[in-house]
Amino acid sequence: MIRITGLSFQYGGGEKNALSDIDLEINNGDFLGIIGSSGAGKSTLTYAMNGLAPHHFRGDFRGEVTVNGLDTRQNQPEELARHVGSVFQDIDSQMLASVVEDEILFGLENFGIPHDEIERRMNDALESTGISELRSRTVASLSGGQKQKAAIAAIVALRPSIMVLDEPTGELDPQSSRMVFEILKKLNEEHGVTIVLVEQKIMLLCEFARRLAVMDGGKLILCGPVKDVLDSADRLEDAGVNIPRVATLARRLRERELYHGDIPLDIGRAKIMVEGILSDAAL
Amino acid sequence: MNGFLSYVNGSSPLHKLHPLTKMVMSFALCASCFLSGNHVLILCVIGLNLCLFASAGGIARAVSTLLSFVKFSAVLFVLQLFFIKDGTPIFTLPLGITLTYEGVMFSLLFVLRFLASTMPLALMLSVTPVGDISNVLVRNLRVPYRYAFVITTAARFIPLFSEEMSGIMEAQTARGVEFDTRNFIKKIRLLIPLCVPLLISSVRRIENSAISAELRGFNLRTRLSGYKRYSFGANDATILIACAALVAVSASGIWP
Repeated sequence: MIRITGLSFQYGGGEKNALSDIDLEINNGDFLGIIGSSGAGKSTLTYAMNGLAPHHFRGDFRGEVTVNGLDTRQNQPEELARHVGSVFQDIDSQMLASVVEDEILFGLENFGIPHDEIERRMNDALESTGISELRSRTVASLSGGQKQKAAIAAIVALRPSIMVLDEPTGELDPQSSRMVFEILKKLNEEHGVTIVLVEQKIMLLCEFARRLAVMDGGKLILCGPVKDVLDSADRLEDAGVNIPRVATLARRLRERELYHGDIPLDIGRAKIMVEGILSDAAL
Repeated sequence: MNGFLSYVNGSSPLHKLHPLTKMVMSFALCASCFLSGNHVLILCVIGLNLCLFASAGGIARAVSTLLSFVKFSAVLFVLQLFFIKDGTPIFTLPLGITLTYEGVMFSLLFVLRFLASTMPLALMLSVTPVGDISNVLVRNLRVPYRYAFVITTAARFIPLFSEEMSGIMEAQTARGVEFDTRNFIKKIRLLIPLCVPLLISSVRRIENSAISAELRGFNLRTRLSGYKRYSFGANDATILIACAALVAVSASGIWP
């Protein structure tokens, strides 16, 4: 569980707060999507969760962040990493080994996982991310999507209860992005891993996340179930967030009093919505 | 991306050697070039390097690496030639520049040593994952992990930076910069300004890698953390004996 209370953070040498008065609670098993325009403070918020702020990124840190009861100011990032696994957008930089197997071993060895448990953990991580066949491949020979899956597998092997991902699909094509989301969904639903995911691909986020947090200018302006957040379309537009077309369509239909249901979160449900309206009109 | 200094997957006998054997072999091949002043011996070492690359399935890469160094070697050869004035004159150029037999032989030796000594490192890195190298450095040679990681990460990052430089050059070429010019000096002058964006992107990448390592317990690692175990076999013993013989022949002057 992550509890953020009254968090403000200003980078050392910065002139204004990257984060201002953030209050946020992320329960065990949650799947939270964080959206916002560039410079809204999304990445900084993830740094506060994994302890990089204030330990790696120094600055004026006010308020409190606890991860599974551990105060992030009192615990170093590597200690917090036993609870929070982090995945980043820059795929090549986070790969530290030349072979997939070694990439997964890196964290397991560092954290002193007993050697008789390492093989099992490695196999589980490879299986849950669907890359068992890539175990002996060199990192350089993988596609972007495969590399990101390997990066996720390297974190999954550490069995953190929380995963914080900062735009993990930023360099990926739509198909690979969906595959990464499917893996996160599986980890969330089958293994109970709490997922905190910063993303720009709002359509995918709306489809997979349970809750959305919207950031603007370092502030958390909205947080709640996906449908509730999409209902506040004006505030999303003010924050520079693109609203999914299906949500815009539903809103327009509501304004014309043609539709009164929930906002559909994917094309399939939007189709059902439109077919319902057309059949009503035919009657 | 399988460029110079990057690992190439394989199951050749060379791949299966103990990482320490491969490091010793690389060092021995390098050392033999500097211990001997015999051109033929150094040519043989270059040939041996190529044979070893071929046995590991990387002959094409070895030849392309060698060819890429030939142009640079030619420049080195010519420069070296003009700086050595002692010895038996072969012929005199305008401005009083004299080419000597000793100068030609030394310049040739210099270039052959340069070519021969760059190949063993590329050979070792192409058949050994960097993780294995750092494991052996830490466990067998007692190098602190922090330093072993820096050495192996540097080797891993060279192909990435090379790729980054190619990307920057392609972007500049698309904007009309003539990197395909045949004028070597002009090309160098065009490349110098690119060092700044390369440096910035490299620093950013290194920073991201450091964060990634830190969040995966880099600072918690001990000498005994390594999971993989490597064993010495008959092939390792054979290679080590051959290396000792090569170094002995080079150093003894049997082949002057």
